[in-house]
Amino acid sequence: MKKSGSRFPARAGVRGTLTLLLILPIVAVLQACDLDENPVSVITPDNFYQNEQEIIGGLAASYSRLRGTMWTYFNLSEISSDEMVVPTRGQDWFDNGRWLEIHQQAWSANSPSGLDDINGAWNDNMGGVANTNIVLSALENVNVADQEIYIAELRALRAWYYYLLMDFFGGVPLATDPQVTPRPRTTRAELFNFIEEELLAARTVLPASWPPEMDGRMTSGACDAILASLYLNAEVWTGTVSTGGLQRGQARWQDAIDAADRVINSGVYSLEADWFSNFTPDNYLSSELIFVVKHLNQSGLGQSLPFRVLHYNQLDPTPWNGFSTIAETFNQFDPDDLRTDIFLVGQQVNLDTGEEVNDRQGNPLIFTPEIGAIVQASENEGVRILKYPPDPARFSDHNGNDYAYFRLAEMYLIKAEALNELGSTGAAIDILNMLRERVFDPDKPIDSAGLSQAAARDRILQERLFELTAEGKRRMDLIRHDKFTLEWQFKPQTDPYRILFPIPQTQLDTNPELVQNPGY
Amino acid sequence: MSMTRKAISVLIVCLAWAGSLAAQDQVGSITGRVVDAQTQQPIGNANVVIEGTLLGSVTTPSGTFVISQVPVGTYQVTANLIGYGPVTQEVTVTAGEAVSVNFSLPIQAVVMEELVTTGYGTQRRLAITGSVATVDAAEANVGVQSNVNDLLQGRVSGLNITRNSGEPGTGAQITIRGGTSLSASSEPLYIVDGVPIAQDIPTEANGIGIGGDPALPRSPLTLINPADIENITVLKDAAATAIYGSRAANGVILIETKQGAPGTVSFEYDGYVAISQPQSYLNLLNGAEYRDFVQAQVSAGNLDPSRLDGLGTANTDWERALTRTALTQNHDVSFAGGTQATRFRASVNYMDQEGIVQNNGFQRFQGRLNGTHTTLNDRLRLDLRLSTAQVNHDYLPFENLGGFEGGVFQNMAVYNPTFPVTITDPDTGEEKFFEIGTGRLSVRNPVAIAEQIEDVANTTRTLGTLKADLDVFSGLTATVSGSVDASRSNRRTFFPSASPVGAEWNGRAIQQDRDLTTLNLQTLLTYDGGVGLDHAFNVVGGYEVIDWTLRTFSAEARDFLTDAFSFSNLTAGVARPIIGSYEESALLVSVFGRANYSFKDRYFVTGVVRYDGASQFGAGNKWSLFPAVSASWRVSEEAFMADGPFSELRLRAGWGRQGNPAVTPYSSLITLEASDGASYPFGDQRFTGVAPNRNPNPDLKWEETEQWNVAIDFGFAGNRIAGTVEGYIKNTEDLLLEVPVAQPAAVPNRLENIGKIRNRGIEASLEALVINTPNVTWSAGLVFDMNRNEVVDLGGRTFLPLGVVSGQGQTGQNAQRLIPGETVGTFYGPEFIGVDAQGRQLFNQRDSDGNIIGETIQPTGDDFTVIGNANPDFSLGLTNRLSWGNFDGSMLLLSEIGQDVFNNTALVYSTKSNALQDKNFLRSAIDDPIGILEPAIFSDRWIENGSYLRLQNITIGYTFQLPSFVAGKMARVYAAADNLFLITGYDGYDPEVYTDAGLVTPGIDYLSYPRARTFTFGLRFEM
Repeated sequence: MKKSGSRFPARAGVRGTLTLLLILPIVAVLQACDLDENPVSVITPDNFYQNEQEIIGGLAASYSRLRGTMWTYFNLSEISSDEMVVPTRGQDWFDNGRWLEIHQQAWSANSPSGLDDINGAWNDNMGGVANTNIVLSALENVNVADQEIYIAELRALRAWYYYLLMDFFGGVPLATDPQVTPRPRTTRAELFNFIEEELLAARTVLPASWPPEMDGRMTSGACDAILASLYLNAEVWTGTVSTGGLQRGQARWQDAIDAADRVINSGVYSLEADWFSNFTPDNYLSSELIFVVKHLNQSGLGQSLPFRVLHYNQLDPTPWNGFSTIAETFNQFDPDDLRTDIFLVGQQVNLDTGEEVNDRQGNPLIFTPEIGAIVQASENEGVRILKYPPDPARFSDHNGNDYAYFRLAEMYLIKAEALNELGSTGAAIDILNMLRERVFDPDKPIDSAGLSQAAARDRILQERLFELTAEGKRRMDLIRHDKFTLEWQFKPQTDPYRILFPIPQTQLDTNPELVQNPGY
Repeated sequence: MSMTRKAISVLIVCLAWAGSLAAQDQVGSITGRVVDAQTQQPIGNANVVIEGTLLGSVTTPSGTFVISQVPVGTYQVTANLIGYGPVTQEVTVTAGEAVSVNFSLPIQAVVMEELVTTGYGTQRRLAITGSVATVDAAEANVGVQSNVNDLLQGRVSGLNITRNSGEPGTGAQITIRGGTSLSASSEPLYIVDGVPIAQDIPTEANGIGIGGDPALPRSPLTLINPADIENITVLKDAAATAIYGSRAANGVILIETKQGAPGTVSFEYDGYVAISQPQSYLNLLNGAEYRDFVQAQVSAGNLDPSRLDGLGTANTDWERALTRTALTQNHDVSFAGGTQATRFRASVNYMDQEGIVQNNGFQRFQGRLNGTHTTLNDRLRLDLRLSTAQVNHDYLPFENLGGFEGGVFQNMAVYNPTFPVTITDPDTGEEKFFEIGTGRLSVRNPVAIAEQIEDVANTTRTLGTLKADLDVFSGLTATVSGSVDASRSNRRTFFPSASPVGAEWNGRAIQQDRDLTTLNLQTLLTYDGGVGLDHAFNVVGGYEVIDWTLRTFSAEARDFLTDAFSFSNLTAGVARPIIGSYEESALLVSVFGRANYSFKDRYFVTGVVRYDGASQFGAGNKWSLFPAVSASWRVSEEAFMADGPFSELRLRAGWGRQGNPAVTPYSSLITLEASDGASYPFGDQRFTGVAPNRNPNPDLKWEETEQWNVAIDFGFAGNRIAGTVEGYIKNTEDLLLEVPVAQPAAVPNRLENIGKIRNRGIEASLEALVINTPNVTWSAGLVFDMNRNEVVDLGGRTFLPLGVVSGQGQTGQNAQRLIPGETVGTFYGPEFIGVDAQGRQLFNQRDSDGNIIGETIQPTGDDFTVIGNANPDFSLGLTNRLSWGNFDGSMLLLSEIGQDVFNNTALVYSTKSNALQDKNFLRSAIDDPIGILEPAIFSDRWIENGSYLRLQNITIGYTFQLPSFVAGKMARVYAAADNLFLITGYDGYDPEVYTDAGLVTPGIDYLSYPRARTFTFGLRFEM
């Protein structure tokens, strides 16, 4: 008997097998030891943004953020104002109470709308900033034709995303490089200066207009329009907000007039004779639009404004029957004003067929101005604002109507407001009357005789309501006129600090450098 | 026999065998008979082996055996069968002679001697220092079992299985000792015959969804036929699982398939037919009740009189219209046998399971060939395992989360019961499905959805392994194993234009291919040895490479002239908008080792180390080390315990660390993607945008779980009563979580290693042989689990919202939050306190400190608080096995006590306001005082106690020897009932709910596929 551990008699077959067993796998393992990843279906920045085609891919992506930011900006600006409300209709639209909360300005850093809509506005606009920073950073390392224009265009676009953030939140982290890292907030005034400088720099490089096949890209006119709005709101945006409210900063009325005049006198834009042609599916033809969110009636590229307001039975596919206006705002409109036609009230029709439709209970669908209770509204209550009519060639709920952030009429309104603030009330009202000519037949001018500056100020604000309802301007206007926290239908008077949104809790948790806005 | 003596004899036999190899021409044989020591009845299927050799045999039903070609010498021969204690006798074989030896085996309830597969080798059960549980597949494979998960429920302590739904072939959520991950998979690692199976990636493409997220994919484990499984081993603690290192944090499930035994070829048929029906029904209004309700509301002035005109005259029970008595049939045929050198087992399986809802089910055709061959004087052993399965899925279009419009079940709940299922077309005279309108509709006839939408997938999955073991010298074995796990599937979906779902696109057809291939190579060196008589050790070292690739291709066409082509002719679609393809791959490279040392078979120590490298982690974090140590002490072998009450007493303790690498490839890289979302029009042209789709995280690494385990194994009365009590603490850190990043960032979130969770628990299992008489045996098993988990840290975040509430008017509502200090599965929302005079729901109003300051109809922010916990206080599984003469019976009871379930179904369907939209609702809403205009508001009103007791299975069988003129040995007929009763106070279908809503969100009941009650009749036949 052999001792434990002794070897078997070695045989050639065993030895050969053993060699094979041990050597083959070692070769395989050595080959496998490289654990670097080489993705084939996705690309990395190292091998992209290298030529003009690829830069345009980055450019398109930077612009594409306009779509998402438009929704968050539109919803929060409109529903938090007296222009819109989203009542709870039976099973529909309670959605965690967030729509009611927005209308009642009851949001907080932690509330449903704070965690959802307000956080979305923060993320969407910051995403726009980050995307432009990534492409701008890539442009530092490549040489392509028209490089200067791409850079100016992206800087102007980035300034726009910061403009929206400044309007909602005040000062925010200011980044001009693609680094993802916690950064402290700037002051609102510093952000204001940054935006102003970027736009002033970009406007000198950008063309006044693009050929039709490039329509929608940033122009010097777009920069001037944003600047005009910036100067109009300068007192608010260079001021400070405390729990007690707004401490106004320096007014920039003359700068606002100058910027608006640069647009008005550029020769690129003119008022459309037909006011509605600014909103129709072919509104890209309008000579009045200055800075828009472009839409196409294709999957993923369209807008769904009509679907938010229309009743289920008014369009195909089924709309959502949500956004309405409150009666006291609707009632401010002059029935003779053609612009009143944006409201749907009374018996409703299917907008494709023109046939009268019923509600889901089989009764004729009649929209009524009054809403009984916003927590238990019925499906026909509330006037609807259909400023952007549905696109007959829409793809599903994707309509091709462009959404205008700025059009020429607002440049006139900005100029009028600034003129009034500088004491030229008569000249201001003349501008209003010029705008009213195309929407009243017969004409119905405002009599400026004996109109005080303060009364004119209110009249200008009201004219902005008539002209710009559902264009996302109302919250900003009410804040500038110290009216945002007043009481209106379904909304109590709110604390003055609510002119700024809270920094969402999600962001505070993520970035320890952030300091919450006062009051929240 | 004491263990020391046994170890010595094993050693002697080994040496004797080694010495005898030189003189093999001198052979004899051993014959004999094995009987039950108590009853003196013959024992069939017992293993008789010559220790230290590969020689052996299996007894016939009359208990006899023959082992031939035995080299001359003296041997230890052991007879063994699960359920009996092994008996070893010394036998001396002389040349040309047949030595006779008889065995009488004592019944033993708990078998401590058996060999247990522990990963890269086997160990004697008594030598295992970690936490390991085994399941006898034959015992568990009762009733309708479509996949391996079904065999485990209620049979292993610490293992929690929640089946996704009642859908045939459905997957399950399995956690061992609580989930250790929030975003990555919490599923255990499955190892089939030593080869890891990719099972957290579905083998078929995901569904499309028709108004919400599509139903969860079916289980990839359906490829394994439960009848092929010999046994299942569950490795629970770090000491046991660390050998699988980075993939083992969630535990490991080892599956061994059956192998042939030498001797005559045996043939076996096992088949059953089963009928299934829904276990329960929702309590919806019927047509008459609905008409009465509308009439009453009209009379009360709450509804307009014209509403009555909109009602139909039918009285349709949509639930019963949609469900059916379903038939399942399953047939297994196998034959096995071989010589001493070559053994095989071949089997085929056919299973056809109908769902209890119309028009869905699954079919499996599966074949397996297992073979072993021994050559080079028994020094080289080859082992081939090859199985291939074709699984044909016929899907039902239902939703995972419910959704706004929803699939079959959402429409079943709301479809007006006064409407008929079908009507006669006035123009053509043909019978057709009733719909409330034409074109695209948001409320659709649920029976029509089930019947009209076609959604099928065919998957072929092949799993092949070839393993070679070579004895290099005595005690040292080299092993190489290569395997491939390849699945190819094609999913085809068609939404016809005749359906309101497909009308939107005028017909929509999609085909999706998916290829999933995993290659695995393992090399092992195993050394068994000892020093003197007291020291024994076993060392395993090796490396492993796993290379995994996924490829997908899809094409879609819309706008068809006719529905006739279904999904089979995409070119017939006028609009062909979408073609997609994708590929990703990952690589895992590992080096590992394990050493066991035992002293006097009384003290055991095990150390394990594994070094893993995975491609999908950040550049500096691809490699990590996973160690474990454990020890056990057989106190009962000590002299001072000799007179104690214990027949077995063992203390065990272990510590170890494992990882969880379940992140998708390229997660650490910044990647750019061309997408619709990033595209933008200039002029009227779409410009394809390319944008980052994730933020880079070069620091991305494994989730790591550190686990402590202490245990007592005990046995009384000759181990007639035996059990284990274990306690554990699992701390998981560097949790992989998709968390918000500081802005600005192109993508709002990033996968980061952040946060910690802790699981602590006590689990116990007890087995008892309660009655053991010649005619009657009754054994019972009990498993008990108590797990407490806690979110320790979320990386500074105060909470993460999760658990989406699904349904109309619920956008943006979450049911749960992860909050440091609370458990995973914490429900968070407002507290319902009553209804006001106007029929509005009232909730507690709280200030920012959490004090109740009043009541509100519009709860928000501070009003939300912790309102429930989805984790059970404890859970129980009770098994009973009874044999009485030729009769046998078994029973499995499952219970979970103390968990809360959020009844999302009741929230969105217990509202009278559904009637404003002609929709049906649950009968319970009729009597509540809530107004018809009140919306559904999430609150603790919908958090219910989900405690339950379920009779999971009960089986009765009768076995008889076939008369001699029949060419067979024995037959068994049996009848079984699955899910015979469910005792619960829960109002929904079933409190056992699972939905994948992103992060771990236990205990949310979205309306899903109802569970079945099943009766099975089976026959087993051997010849």
